[in-house]
Amino acid sequence: MLEFYESLIAFDLQAKDAKEVIGLLAGNMNAQGLVSAEYGAQTWAREMDHPTGLPTKPFCIAFPHADAEGVNKSALGVAVMRQPVKFQNMADPDESLDVELVFMLANRDPQEQIQTLRNLAVLFGQPEKLVELRDQATLHGVASWLRHELNLS
Amino acid sequence: MSKLIVVACGAGINTSTIAEDSIKERVAQEGFSDVEVKRILIADIEGFLGRTDLIMVVSMMKIFRTFDVPVFQGMPFLIGSKQERDALLDKIVEVIKKV
Repeated sequence: MLEFYESLIAFDLQAKDAKEVIGLLAGNMNAQGLVSAEYGAQTWAREMDHPTGLPTKPFCIAFPHADAEGVNKSALGVAVMRQPVKFQNMADPDESLDVELVFMLANRDPQEQIQTLRNLAVLFGQPEKLVELRDQATLHGVASWLRHELNLS
Repeated sequence: MSKLIVVACGAGINTSTIAEDSIKERVAQEGFSDVEVKRILIADIEGFLGRTDLIMVVSMMKIFRTFDVPVFQGMPFLIGSKQERDALLDKIVEVIKKV
């Protein structure tokens, strides 16, 4: 069971860098008691060692996360960026990508994390779906679109 | 002897699982009974390179070197269209049939 609701979404977000986006999404999760106060710092540390940017089309995405430690309840956080932020490419950490959608994962169980990633990967491979999500007019629209596409209740 | 395919990813979240799912599904469809698909961390790859049953490396990470066996970049399994995934699976099947 994945916690996903409007307070975990950052809509039309202006942030200066990836660290700020991660800190904000983790802060939203922490405010709901879903993750520890350290989850954002843990996720940023992991992102620097093992980046999660992906060169999807027509724009790039990232799926930052940390280990299960510090996660009270599994959750999905999302940021829709007003301007792209740089994340490094998972497949080639020397390459910077302009990221417009950030999916922050918090999972208590690695198997469950893989399942979340499987569900997200279906969207990652469809440019028209990524555009639909990015171009939602409201935060509410982002929430209901994702709930529908990912079959979240 | 069985034919070993290793699917390597960088760390942690096991993005290689996504590639493993697709390859295993296609291997089953093709009716290959002698193919083993194994997920590994890219850091552990050296230990597999000497194995005589290794026929292919699929890597989610870019690889800046060559191996004695064919190497495929597995990113299409995570972010590719259905056509791109199928094209990659066709190439993988071709290698399996050749060895």
